[in-house]
Amino acid sequence: MGDMLPARWLSASGAAPTGPSGVAGLRALFPVLSQHIQGHPLAYLDNAATTQMPQPVLDALQHFERHNRANIHRGVHALSQRATDAYDAARAQLKRFVGAGSEHELVFTSGTTESLNLVAHGLSAHAGGSKPLQPGDEIIVSGLEHHANLLPWQRAARESGALLRILLPDAQGHLRAEDLARLLTPRTRVFAVTACANATGERPPFAELLAMAHQAGALTVLDAAQVAAHAVPDISTLPCDFLVFSGHKMYGPMGTGALVGRREALELLAPFRVGGDMVEWVSFTDASYAALPARLEAGTPNVGGAIGMAAAAKFIDAVGRDAIDQHLHALRAQAVQGLSALPGLRVLSADTLDTAIVSFVTDGAHPHDVGTLLDGQGIAVRTGLHCAQPLLEHLGCGPTTRASFALYNTPEEVERLVAGVAKALELLR
Amino acid sequence: MSSAETDLYQELVLEHKRSPRNFGHLSAPTHQARGTNPSCGDDLSVELAVADGKLADIRFHGQGCAICMASASMMSEAVKGQEIAAAQKLQQHFRAVLTGEESADAAPLGKLVSLAGVSRYPSRIKCALLGWHALMHAIASNPAAPTVPVSTEGETPS
Repeated sequence: MGDMLPARWLSASGAAPTGPSGVAGLRALFPVLSQHIQGHPLAYLDNAATTQMPQPVLDALQHFERHNRANIHRGVHALSQRATDAYDAARAQLKRFVGAGSEHELVFTSGTTESLNLVAHGLSAHAGGSKPLQPGDEIIVSGLEHHANLLPWQRAARESGALLRILLPDAQGHLRAEDLARLLTPRTRVFAVTACANATGERPPFAELLAMAHQAGALTVLDAAQVAAHAVPDISTLPCDFLVFSGHKMYGPMGTGALVGRREALELLAPFRVGGDMVEWVSFTDASYAALPARLEAGTPNVGGAIGMAAAAKFIDAVGRDAIDQHLHALRAQAVQGLSALPGLRVLSADTLDTAIVSFVTDGAHPHDVGTLLDGQGIAVRTGLHCAQPLLEHLGCGPTTRASFALYNTPEEVERLVAGVAKALELLR
Repeated sequence: MSSAETDLYQELVLEHKRSPRNFGHLSAPTHQARGTNPSCGDDLSVELAVADGKLADIRFHGQGCAICMASASMMSEAVKGQEIAAAQKLQQHFRAVLTGEESADAAPLGKLVSLAGVSRYPSRIKCALLGWHALMHAIASNPAAPTVPVSTEGETPS
């Protein structure tokens, strides 16, 4: 659907499409942004939770539902073939998006949470032979994770008898390679880390950490949910066995996601769900499973969602990843500078570059009150623990207010955020 | 920010938030309970001195947003010295007003009426009810048993 973008946003020329005029044009592609909230233009700054969908993605969804909706892999009729072709094309598009090669496969899921559950369960359950995770094995999970990349590993450890170890960040919220080196042992079987912490915006040196864990013989898991919209890692260049992300955080539909992995690693996983379309042969008492990716996609998938997610990937590439990245970093830098100047306000991971998230705590004003007062001005932010309670407790800061940026946000919106926070603090203190 | 400012953050609410009444501990509580809200980190404990079916004394401590702290502070003032049954009845009225089942004008809320605007902010109702939740659990608690945190998470207005 990138062909539906005006030609000047196509990134081939290396232009910066997200400059002031480019942003205005891009905003027009997102119908949701044109509304007013409580009398104010909507400033949607909750993109780390969910991004909005542009017209090309909405069009792709509608086109499928209106013209090609049918079940896949089962029908001999024309619509079934079209739906199957579109689903397979979506898989191919998203594989290209993350740099997956022939040694990789992509499995569609309902999102990052399901992808991580699929991996953790798949390693701790029987996959026909023995469980990949055995009693006495060790799992290392970074302390920056949201609950989706912690709880599945807690359960996997309990169910397999493996030991769960946490790679804690330092007082500034940074993960350190030397700390990982101390945790790695010959029994380390899994290392899971995020490409960007949703609660703090921290960007850990994940490539270095994955390489160390891989070197030590561990399977490596990278949660790319928070970077998929602007800086999705190239899996072909990373020692990464499993890469996960969600569609709804990259301008795609909600309830969509992907698990990309090395085929050999994906083969280790016991299917989370069994049933239709994931089998090769079935009797009343036994079954043999199909090859990847069907083996891990039992039941009718979210075909429209997969098509929408692929359209979102195409949209991102049409606008240009570097241009989006530059735009987001500029907005974040502006927000950090403006917010840090407010008395009694502390930005978490303030010195971290390459992030689209600014998360902060304020003396004498609870994030929920700040968030409600900002909402009264049409500014949508997230407040609370961001499904990362252990991390925030470790950093000793409790709940935070978090603004997170997307390609359609503007410097004016950041100004409104800073002014709105200043006003809320004045009222609440 | 006129609407949230006038609906939610009235001067009385902010004043209670800044100087919560009956904040702290009782030297010898007969009943106590803790309330938490896992999504926002709010965490309040209520301690009671119950005698002859009355809430002879009350203290609360912990942390929360302005709505949560002001509600608990006003609650402590309203129920201190009251019969347990009266406190329970007040809780029912307060809850019914916040969830839209009862009109604020008709309910005998006293100062607590300044929190009636919370009913227009469904995501904040659990903040206003956290202290009350802990109070009800404290009343129902067995003083001999260890306290188990209660939570308003997932509680939906009915």
